[in-house]
Amino acid sequence: MKAKTQEELIYLNMTMKVPYKWRTGETMGEFFRELKENGIIYANQCPTCGRAFCLPKSVCTRDHTRCTERSKWIPVGPKGTVVTYFMAEQSFLLPTTGEMLKIPFAVGIVLLDGAACILQHTLEETDPEKIKPFMRVEAVFKPKAERKGNIYDIVHFKTITE
Amino acid sequence: MSNRVAIVGIGQTTHSGRRPYVNDGELIYDAVTKALADADLSINDMESVMSGNMDLFEGHHLNDAMLNLYSGAAGKPGFKMNTGGTVGSMMAIQGWYHIASGLFDLVMVIGWEKHDEGLVTPAISTITDPAVDRPFLVGAIGGLATVSVAYMQRSGCKLEHGAMVRANASQAAHRNPNAHMREIYSVEDVMKARMVMYPLNLLMCCPTSLGATALILASESKAKKICKKPVWMKDHVTVHVEYGGAQFGIGEKRWTSHMEAGSKLFKRNHITKPMEETQVFEMYDPFAFAIPMWMEDFLICEPSEGWKLVEKGALKLEGEYPVSPSGGVLCTNSIGDSALLRVAEAALQIRGDAGEHQVTREVKQALASGFGGSYWSDLLLLSKTTD
Repeated sequence: MKAKTQEELIYLNMTMKVPYKWRTGETMGEFFRELKENGIIYANQCPTCGRAFCLPKSVCTRDHTRCTERSKWIPVGPKGTVVTYFMAEQSFLLPTTGEMLKIPFAVGIVLLDGAACILQHTLEETDPEKIKPFMRVEAVFKPKAERKGNIYDIVHFKTITE
Repeated sequence: MSNRVAIVGIGQTTHSGRRPYVNDGELIYDAVTKALADADLSINDMESVMSGNMDLFEGHHLNDAMLNLYSGAAGKPGFKMNTGGTVGSMMAIQGWYHIASGLFDLVMVIGWEKHDEGLVTPAISTITDPAVDRPFLVGAIGGLATVSVAYMQRSGCKLEHGAMVRANASQAAHRNPNAHMREIYSVEDVMKARMVMYPLNLLMCCPTSLGATALILASESKAKKICKKPVWMKDHVTVHVEYGGAQFGIGEKRWTSHMEAGSKLFKRNHITKPMEETQVFEMYDPFAFAIPMWMEDFLICEPSEGWKLVEKGALKLEGEYPVSPSGGVLCTNSIGDSALLRVAEAALQIRGDAGEHQVTREVKQALASGFGGSYWSDLLLLSKTTD
């Protein structure tokens, strides 16, 4: 008991609230605009190496060239392949909202048809027995009126059979 | 041609989950005084003292200002560094730059963390893209679970191999008085642990620890004068990776920063058989599948061979190529300190001063690695001799 009292005297509990704005930039802004207005997932292409980025990048990491040319944008998906995945079975504090994660929570690392790099998003399927590597999925969009121009305009990826 | 650099003093605190009666400065002071005693030097001999940790983890930004009295940095040149999981190895490398450049003869570098004072997962999540990654990549574990699944898919590695790695690590940590989790676990014990994020269960993830490490580095002329058993920092490589998919080695031809680091370091030092030409590897292994997977990625063994080495027991403390004989990050993870501790433990193995967890084979050259951020890699080669 004595030890506990002593310990209480030598630490202070504190909480920090840190509100932020995040500027996504013109390229991601355009990606989100297309998602909101037309429900289309776009990739942009590097004029030097030809890789199609989804999510779009304004500069190619390898060539260091600008990839902002709008004519180089190509629609990808909405179907894709789950390259790999993870499943959270324990809740975590989310830094984006400060809320606890709702479990079970399955995230798919999705290679969209036509894209060269991956998009990560939640899977509709949360039964670990039913999530298979390389299974086919398709993006499910919110109704247009509810879309806000952020990544949550895609509700999740649902499993499809082809 | 840069000047040669040696490790001439090593100090580490004991590691634990909580140390309620010690504040961050006192923790550092503990490691600093142990390193000075090991080198038989005084703080006044140090020309520069530098420290690093993850600022957000203790909720205290630029903490070196308040810590100068404990670290001994007051009145001396140097800087504070934060590069995520690689803080520690970057501290060793920054110390190397300061001496290799010829500007200093004696430098102390410190890595530390007090994980019991904050929330790691929300803090660590802030390294990812806020708009698209942060809602889905849950801290470090999301990315590490992902690469583990991908590794199991491509190599044939099973959940049991992860459990074998953790069981081996527990045997090693049990022999290391400074390790945090020193309980011995069998493969069955590990398999029974609660699943956190498939395929990583609670025991296959590193703990959140607190602790500090200090290294004293010296120029060749100084080291030969003051130190009986200098350990030479023969070479080191730092590699950043392309953010977004490539950090998982997913999408196109598989390429990771670990692969680039291994390839550069071995080529430059004419090492063709890493498991013979280096005798021990203190790897930054924050999850169970890291050891088999990264043995392959660092190009130490062939693709899909890593888990077979685990199965054979080759990577155990008494094995033909011991990996993380201290118990590794799997048993002790005080992040800002973890990667410097890898360098310290590898140096102790070369000196023959690792005590109970000294490996059985003779160590002439050792590897140490750091890992963090978006798969940013550090790989260091330490040697008993200057040749």
